[in-house]
Amino acid sequence: MTMNLFNQFLSPTFLGLPLIAIALMAPCLLYPSPAPWWQSNRWMTLQNWFIGSFIKQILSPINTKGHSWALLLATLMVFLITLNTLGLLPYTFTPTTQLSLNMAFAVPLWLATVIMGFRNSPTHALGHLLPEGTPTPLVPILIIIESISLLIRPLALGVRLTANLTAGHLLIQLVSSAAFSLLLSQTTAASLAVGLLLLLTILEIAVAMIQAYVFVLLLSLYLQENV
Amino acid sequence: MPQLNPAPWFLILVFSWLIFLALMPPKILTHQFPHEPSTLTAHKPKANSWTWAWQ
Repeated sequence: MTMNLFNQFLSPTFLGLPLIAIALMAPCLLYPSPAPWWQSNRWMTLQNWFIGSFIKQILSPINTKGHSWALLLATLMVFLITLNTLGLLPYTFTPTTQLSLNMAFAVPLWLATVIMGFRNSPTHALGHLLPEGTPTPLVPILIIIESISLLIRPLALGVRLTANLTAGHLLIQLVSSAAFSLLLSQTTAASLAVGLLLLLTILEIAVAMIQAYVFVLLLSLYLQENV
Repeated sequence: MPQLNPAPWFLILVFSWLIFLALMPPKILTHQFPHEPSTLTAHKPKANSWTWAWQ
């Protein structure tokens, strides 16, 4: 029974070809590159506004040296938010439910911020492992704790996104299958389940956007610490 | 859990980074943010244009 419910997260293949490739290309198809010879339309203006205000907001606490990460953070945000929201359409596959993809983004990007920090100012980077004003007997154990919390960051980053989206999709599948099976026998219960499904879908739209934002925000915070 | 199946992990990593590095950035890079037009009465126009910084 449990295996049956998780089957929606199986990386889909068709005749041996992985279909996750098509799912990953979907954001590229939705965002045409603006060109000076094309008149802007509402979609392009909306994108421009979104990217501009997102970059303004995310780069404001970072000093000028970190501003070279602007393109990476903007691309990551657009990519993740598109993958997440497209996955809410019926019968679509959400690549961000795959732990492999989220870890593939979390680990290298976190590692990049850490390496940058250790290369540019190693003392300052090591200094993060010991908060100011710590009583002397606590120093060794606190360094161990802070190192563990540093090393667990990429894991948390990847698993947070995976778990949130997986849980949401799973809940939607559970509630909808309950509503469907109860449709003929207990219609009132089925209608309550449909109401719950509606609220759940609204929640999942919010979660999809928020989780993408949180991923990129945390990365920018790690960057801010190390730059 | 099918997500923990190690078989397509490397392929997914390679393909997602390929798209993230090669296909998406040109689309984001072509978005420009010229400075907002100032009114005629403003004495000192605030030129707030910004480019995708590289260094």
